Amino acid sequence: MARKLLLAALAVAVVGALVGGAVFLGLFERSVVAKAVEQPLSAEQMKGLAKRGAYVAVAADCYACHVVKGGAPWAGGLPFETPLGTIFSTNISPDKEHGIGSWTRAEFHRAVRDGVGKHGHLYPAMPYASYRKLTADDVDAVYAFLMSREPMKVANRANHMPFPLNIRQGLTFWNLVNLSSDAKTEIAGRSAMWNRGRYLTDALAHCGECHTPRNLAMGMKESAYLEGSELEGVMAPDITKAGLARMGFDPLVFASFMKSGISAQGAMTNQMFEVVHFSTQYFTADDLAAMSAYLFDLDKLPESVTPPTPPQPVAVSAEVATSARASYLAVCASCHGVEGQGIPHVVVPLATNASLRLADARNLNKVILTGIPAQRFPGLERMQPMPGFAGQLSDQQVADLSNWLRASWGGQQPSVTADEVKRLR
Amino acid sequence: MTIPTQKLSLTINDKVVGPIDVPETMMMQDFLYEYLNLTGSRMGCGQGICHACTVVLEKADGSLEEMRTCITGAHWFAGRKVRTVEGQAKRDANGAITELSPVQQAFIEHFSFQCGYCTPGFVTGATVLLDQLRRNPVKREALEQVISEALDRHICRCTGYVRYFEAVRDLVLRTPGLVKA
Repeated sequence: MARKLLLAALAVAVVGALVGGAVFLGLFERSVVAKAVEQPLSAEQMKGLAKRGAYVAVAADCYACHVVKGGAPWAGGLPFETPLGTIFSTNISPDKEHGIGSWTRAEFHRAVRDGVGKHGHLYPAMPYASYRKLTADDVDAVYAFLMSREPMKVANRANHMPFPLNIRQGLTFWNLVNLSSDAKTEIAGRSAMWNRGRYLTDALAHCGECHTPRNLAMGMKESAYLEGSELEGVMAPDITKAGLARMGFDPLVFASFMKSGISAQGAMTNQMFEVVHFSTQYFTADDLAAMSAYLFDLDKLPESVTPPTPPQPVAVSAEVATSARASYLAVCASCHGVEGQGIPHVVVPLATNASLRLADARNLNKVILTGIPAQRFPGLERMQPMPGFAGQLSDQQVADLSNWLRASWGGQQPSVTADEVKRLR
Repeated sequence: MTIPTQKLSLTINDKVVGPIDVPETMMMQDFLYEYLNLTGSRMGCGQGICHACTVVLEKADGSLEEMRTCITGAHWFAGRKVRTVEGQAKRDANGAITELSPVQQAFIEHFSFQCGYCTPGFVTGATVLLDQLRRNPVKREALEQVISEALDRHICRCTGYVRYFEAVRDLVLRTPGLVKA
């Protein structure tokens, strides 16, 4: 009996090792790249594609990650502080030594869509799980555009990943679990506008990489598509139809918010500020409309809309209201206004602010404590810096203020505790 | 329409002020101007950026902090101790100035200011910096950096930054105990 069990266990271990080994070697990897791209593009074709590629690269927001402030264009070096270690973006200028200058068309396609680069597997900080859905034409266009840039002789920085995560071949396991082989770009029965919006959202702008929560395998959780997720200590909000409406957006305002970064709902902050700065402000009007139509699940944008009903105020205790109102008048009201109206072109309003309407109060609390730097927006708009009030307000005062603001203007239950604030300091 | 008021008491330049009925939405800058005739702190941007309006907050532990009066409500200062630019120099019983503060004196000696609009803020900022150095002296080689960072937020439209900088550096170097060996 014992002998049989041992044999069975041994068999399971051997099969397991074989399967694991096969996965590790990439035998189960499914490429979505067609054989046709083995054929190089002619110089003529490259020239023709480069201009459109510039727009595709903007829509895919490649530059935001493949440059550092003050660094050489397209030369990478931006750190990604993941829970598992630090990864640096790479040089994708056409430098033959450090960049992608010696990469073939097919090698580029496989890197972008399969996550397998010329020198091995990419980490999924590169959103190839989303770029997988890009059309071959768009990848060609980006390839042609990047190859038309100036080569930058800038060496790539070494990642800081602990063993065994530093063995890139191990990403075959991640890819097996998390990569979809469904690269269909169109859903029959929906309008061209809706489908373009879906392509922009899921493939090019890779919205889900931040707005969809991740599962235990660190893959995007399909069942919670775009429902919001935590990212570097702040919440990337729920951008489903319901989530956008909760924040106070209608489809028309949302489309213009992606263009300008400013609306009655507030101004873009954190990583979304950069997304507007590098990417969505350059979207064509059609693409902005398409993205909004898709996120609101409409086949076309309406001519006029009724804005979502503002949330009903929630009552707070007299104690909280007294403490909060005193803090508000002391340190908030001079800029945000006694009625939360803000100052046009200078300070965002709070009465209609999306941050007050989110289920999670973290973003609001963090901003109260640490402030926001001055930000320049498209169209010569500029929001002044907001000071942080960590030094002026106690944990309890911040909690009271946050609860009162969220309850009276955001319609949220006053559930923030002083402990929660303390942890954010 | 009447503006709701609230009683306010605080200590300004070592004198207890109040209780006075002050509108609950009033900013400290307006309170200093309209109720106390202390017009030394300058209203510049009104958005907390230029720092011409700052005053010294004297905290319970004796340390000093710089506060922007244009964006901080008067009632935030209730029960607190404040020093405006009018309270920097020593005065005699009649209120006449007998001795400038070391920072004020240094600014004069270095011809630091031109139009003078930003000067009350710089006096406040430099006074707070000196207090911080007294508590935590810095190494000599770090001094320039520390001064730049401390006063960086103060805006001077006459661009007289260099002379402010030199005045503060000179004062720090000749005041014992602010710089470590």
